[in-house]
Amino acid sequence: MLKYIIRKLLLLIPVLFGVTLATFMVMHLFTTDPTEIILGQHATTQRVEALREELGLNKPIYVQFGDYLSNALQGDLGKSVITKTSITDELMRRFPATVELALTAIFIATIMGILFGVISAVKQNSIYDYGTMVTALLGVSMPIFWLGLMMIILFSVILGWLPASGRIAIGMQPETITGLYLVDALLTGDMGAFVNAFEHLIMPAVALGSYSTAIIARMTRATMLETIRQDYIRTARAKGLTEKIVIFKHALRNALIPVVTVIGLQMGALLGGAVLTETVFSWPGIGSYLVEGIMVSDYPRVQGAVLLVGTIFVLVNLLVDVLYSYLDPRIQHM
Amino acid sequence: MGKRSLALLLMLVFATSIALVGCGGSKSTSGANSVLVFAQGSDPRGLDPAYVDDGESAKIMMQIFEGLVRYKPGSTEVQPLLATEWTTSADGKEWTFKLRKDVKFHDGTAFNAQAVKFSIERQLPPNRKDDMPYAEFTFDGITKVEVIDDLTVKIILEKPSATLLANLAMALAAPIVSPEAVKKHGDKFIENPVGTGPYKFVKWDKGQQVELVQFDGYWGTKPKMAKVVYKFTKENSVRAADLMTGSTDIMDGVDINDIKALEAKGMTVIKTPGMNINYMGFYTYKKPFDNLKLRKAVSMAINRQNLVDYLYQGNAQLPNTMLPSFIPGYAKEVKPYDYNIEEAKKLLAEAGYANGFEFTAITYSNPRPYNPVNGEKLAAAIQADLAKIGVKMNIKSYPWKEYKQVLNDGEGDAYFYGWIGDNGDPDNFLMLLETANIKGSLNSSKYSNPKMDELLAQGRTTLDPAKRVAIYTEAQKIAAEDAPWVLISHSIDMAAHRPNVKGFALHPTGVHWLDIVSK
Repeated sequence: MLKYIIRKLLLLIPVLFGVTLATFMVMHLFTTDPTEIILGQHATTQRVEALREELGLNKPIYVQFGDYLSNALQGDLGKSVITKTSITDELMRRFPATVELALTAIFIATIMGILFGVISAVKQNSIYDYGTMVTALLGVSMPIFWLGLMMIILFSVILGWLPASGRIAIGMQPETITGLYLVDALLTGDMGAFVNAFEHLIMPAVALGSYSTAIIARMTRATMLETIRQDYIRTARAKGLTEKIVIFKHALRNALIPVVTVIGLQMGALLGGAVLTETVFSWPGIGSYLVEGIMVSDYPRVQGAVLLVGTIFVLVNLLVDVLYSYLDPRIQHM
Repeated sequence: MGKRSLALLLMLVFATSIALVGCGGSKSTSGANSVLVFAQGSDPRGLDPAYVDDGESAKIMMQIFEGLVRYKPGSTEVQPLLATEWTTSADGKEWTFKLRKDVKFHDGTAFNAQAVKFSIERQLPPNRKDDMPYAEFTFDGITKVEVIDDLTVKIILEKPSATLLANLAMALAAPIVSPEAVKKHGDKFIENPVGTGPYKFVKWDKGQQVELVQFDGYWGTKPKMAKVVYKFTKENSVRAADLMTGSTDIMDGVDINDIKALEAKGMTVIKTPGMNINYMGFYTYKKPFDNLKLRKAVSMAINRQNLVDYLYQGNAQLPNTMLPSFIPGYAKEVKPYDYNIEEAKKLLAEAGYANGFEFTAITYSNPRPYNPVNGEKLAAAIQADLAKIGVKMNIKSYPWKEYKQVLNDGEGDAYFYGWIGDNGDPDNFLMLLETANIKGSLNSSKYSNPKMDELLAQGRTTLDPAKRVAIYTEAQKIAAEDAPWVLISHSIDMAAHRPNVKGFALHPTGVHWLDIVSK
């Protein structure tokens, strides 16, 4: 097992190298030069050249990449060319916001997805089944961006129940311990902040989790249907166990194993979705930081954010693999 | 059993939170009435006037910092601020400023002649850095700053400059910073700004907000609000939703499509003409548009009023000269070649193109501040107008980065472009037609007229405002007659606020002052 983990961790190196190289190339070849953004409309050829030299952008691209890589290996992701601030600091400051959003989204998606999946499997071909599966289809097909805006119009503007944007009301931030507002608020016993942060979290988390909820629901339904047709379930029923125990104790447990993989993969998809969700809801996480970076051609910022997201993606997948063999002892990683 | 109790606990937490939310409602923070929340599209790039050139930064910096002079409300004329009066030497090369007494920076240090010298000279060679975007423009021609006494400072220029005062009123580069704070924070001053303004910087939660509080030691009238927060919300419509639900008080960057909804909810929508010009330019140095008659014919075939009414849905102003109307020297009497199809056809025939002709115009595919719909749509609308007089305009569209390159290379016969004013001085617009600016790529038409050059040179060194008005009126007339550009529109800046907000106004330069705003 340990060997397997080490092998997987070593695999991180080529993957992250690839991610860094691809991002670097895309940014340098296909976006506006940041010097144009920094100097604005007074960017005369002469001034652009001088600034390119200062920023090191006039060096051959492989030299720039080499420089970037060697700094990144030492944990220095550089400074933003637009805001002049340290990328590592900014990422660390914003990371908890994304984690809080993604974890809540996956929590909602898991609970709702499994619930929907079980209901529609147990009541196969009933109105509940059709209802949940149509909802799931909508969840898969609806763009997060659009869904987010629709939720804002309904729940904020028309009904006035939830705040439209941001992470917490102005002046209510709890004392920073973990950077996760819900956790920090609980730790410091600041219930006002907890409620407020929770209100801000509901819409983005539901919007972000919508796709995953749907995927998990479909997967649960499929594996549940397969499981409840198996002999041991018939045996359990024949023993006279109540339907509740049959479904939740005997069937669901075995049906969930493939679902766990899906949940793990969804964690990765959530990181991608967070980019859009954070933009719609002005959530101050890595996603919105990345989008703004792209808008202003902030090379180091985009590279740093993508690198971080890539690393997390790979690590989460590794975690899922490990968890998988724990849940199903028949699977052994060699 | 362990699992079951865990499940129970989780459910309990979930249920409690929902219950809490249910009864919580949208509580506001304590003393919310003394906090004014302004929503804008993104974080400032930074809060050091020397290192930024974006509007989002300028707006916040104008609350924290002050310059020697400032713009008057609603115009780009200047009035005293940290300098109370000034005199100019006979040759116009030395400006002596008397400074305001008893002014303190937010860090408690005194504002004086040394601070002025420091603020300017850190942006002059040899201290100037390549990434100080406005140092060269704002301090153009300044060679050094001399301290005469504690409250008197002398700015020395290499040649007389009539735009000096307008430059010193700008939000970019010009504001006076605390020398002590710059020395203390170094590179981090950009995140720890210290000025003399009515509001003091408290903190900046990246991606969320910047908080400012009333500065107790402020020399002038105390600001009306105890605290001001700039909140960053990227999407225009989400910002509008926040305003309507009351979580913010003022927003800018209103989307045309949101105006109705905002007004229906009782919000006040403010429109101010922006300091910019959206135009179609001709390359006047080469065929076919080196021919004035052709330029005139094309100008007269374009229904500009229609563009403003339909393409921009009335949210733009029809220009009669390059200058927006609030800029000193704007000449109301100047008339461009107005829409007249018959006359256009006649001119076309006179120029030897009775059967029409074909040319290529290059344009940009993205929206710009002066052209919110984008260059492609504008070009397509004009293409349809020109077809009516038998002129075929081919459109080549590029993304912005490439566009600037092909424009520098002079591709095509005509181009679409625009300009965002910097200092509110007429020179800042008219210099785009100066021969000297062909090289630096500002004069993309490569238009050259010795009379224009002479007037511009005169305008820069003439300090008498009345004489300057005469000079720039003449320059605007020449520009209108020679028609190197077809003037399409001045875009309009929009903001909205809640009904209880009082005293808010957008300045044409895109900034605002919140010290006079209350709610």
